Amino acid sequence: MFSIIAVDISGRHKIKDGYYMVCAAVALEVSASHIESISQTAIKPFLSPGPPDVLAIVNIIEATVSEIESSGPIIVEKGDLYNRPEWISKKMFSRDMKYQESLSERLAIEFAHHISLSSRKLLMKELDIE
Amino acid sequence: MKKVILVQRNEPGSDNGVNEGKLAELKELARAAHYQVVGVLTQTRYPDRKYQVGRGKVDELAVFVEVSGADKVIFNHQLSTTQIYNISETCKCEVIDRFNLILEIFASRATTRRAKLQVELARLQYELPKARSIVSLLKKDERPGFMGLGGYEDSYEQDVKKRIVRIRNEIHSSCKSSESLRSFRHERGFSLVALAGYTNAGKSTLFQSLVKEGTEVEDMLFTTLSPTTRSLSINQRRVLLTDTVGFIEDLPHWMVDAFRSTLDEIFLADVILLVVDMSDPVEVIRQKLVVSHDIFWKRIEGVEIVTVLNKVDMVEPDDLKRKVDEISYLAPHPVLISASSGDGFEALVDKIYENLPQWDRSRIALDMSEESLSMVSWLYDEGIVHSIDYGEQIVLDIEAREEILQKVSKFNIDDHRVLS
Repeated sequence: MFSIIAVDISGRHKIKDGYYMVCAAVALEVSASHIESISQTAIKPFLSPGPPDVLAIVNIIEATVSEIESSGPIIVEKGDLYNRPEWISKKMFSRDMKYQESLSERLAIEFAHHISLSSRKLLMKELDIE
Repeated sequence: MKKVILVQRNEPGSDNGVNEGKLAELKELARAAHYQVVGVLTQTRYPDRKYQVGRGKVDELAVFVEVSGADKVIFNHQLSTTQIYNISETCKCEVIDRFNLILEIFASRATTRRAKLQVELARLQYELPKARSIVSLLKKDERPGFMGLGGYEDSYEQDVKKRIVRIRNEIHSSCKSSESLRSFRHERGFSLVALAGYTNAGKSTLFQSLVKEGTEVEDMLFTTLSPTTRSLSINQRRVLLTDTVGFIEDLPHWMVDAFRSTLDEIFLADVILLVVDMSDPVEVIRQKLVVSHDIFWKRIEGVEIVTVLNKVDMVEPDDLKRKVDEISYLAPHPVLISASSGDGFEALVDKIYENLPQWDRSRIALDMSEESLSMVSWLYDEGIVHSIDYGEQIVLDIEAREEILQKVSKFNIDDHRVLS
């Protein structure tokens, strides 16, 4: 069993006057192929007037993950960090991170994606934007 | 045996170990295609538009071909039609690339109708973008058609496209029949176990050892092209074990598509045995496991994976422990074995049994009649009869699939089923 924190960001496209993004971080215990348990989730909204660059994405992820109490590496989709090589991305974070590899890590990212996407939909409905 | 020279162009600044690995794989592929490698040429540079490697290197290659008497030159990169033409003009011998070589291997090993169609489809897909320029180069001195505008080019391309459509239809219909066969096997109480993994990981040796039956096993890539399926009994459960074509690095997408029905054997199984060669360096093992997970992702729908860590007898115990620790996050249900010596087979069989689809257990009582006796016979076929007692009634303790137990539920003498 391994502790990981899966992260996903939804809303990286322009709506009206800015980029309405929601980042979801999920702390999980996983085996190599299955999610065994989920201990905590954190959701944080972000608004940016311009398109987020890599450093902005790193800040968004770090800010969301700071609300998670459990330890473990941050698992991020390679595309979220503009397909930067892993060794470059690792240096940008203050804690351990890696790209998704195993089936369980992919499942965890998918899980985080569902949370961020549905949270963003609720947010946009509440703000009466979309 | 034909003599060949291998050529590899390395990207400037690329990792030496990775380059050596690629070259080693090309050597294995050439060996699998029954070629004798008489020489290897490498060059570190950016690709040349006309020759892939530098002009000087091609001249060097031409001398090498003449001296060694090589029949073929194999490049470890995809070559454009112009590059093949230019290099073969200089070297005066046949020039092929890595993908031609893989297609040659598949073609030589294809035995069934479906496998032959798959190879043909892959070859046509490879040829399609080049069809126009191949004809253009071949017919450059005799342009046909009005004002020599080249009437052949279009017709050949159209011909290739038509053949692709026809073969796709044929493969599609043969895939359907294999899927219905699979559901029939499930209905007959068989659980499906598939061997997956990279080429040369030891799948065929493991398959042979598990089934104790002679299939063609050689220390070569792609020993098994057509899916080979045999039945075996694992703790009284009937299992169909399927040996499949191995994964290969950098397999282009059009080749993966063409061999999809072969991979289906893996995706539709109940348990997948992912065979890993532990004698590889740990970084190579990790990379291969990541690619395997990538192939399985979204396709296996919760099927259990047992990671068979093979060739443990070729690794030092301390080194083995370190490797197992490092890849543990990518290895579901790991089992250490040696397919050649048979070490660890009991643990593997137990692990397969643990991960087979769950069967329930039930006690039933049948009246003594001819009909009941035929039902007993049917139950022996469909499940495991743990005990049978012929008294005034026939009392059976059986373990079977949910559907079977439902059919005999009216004869149940337990209040509730005991989960096996």
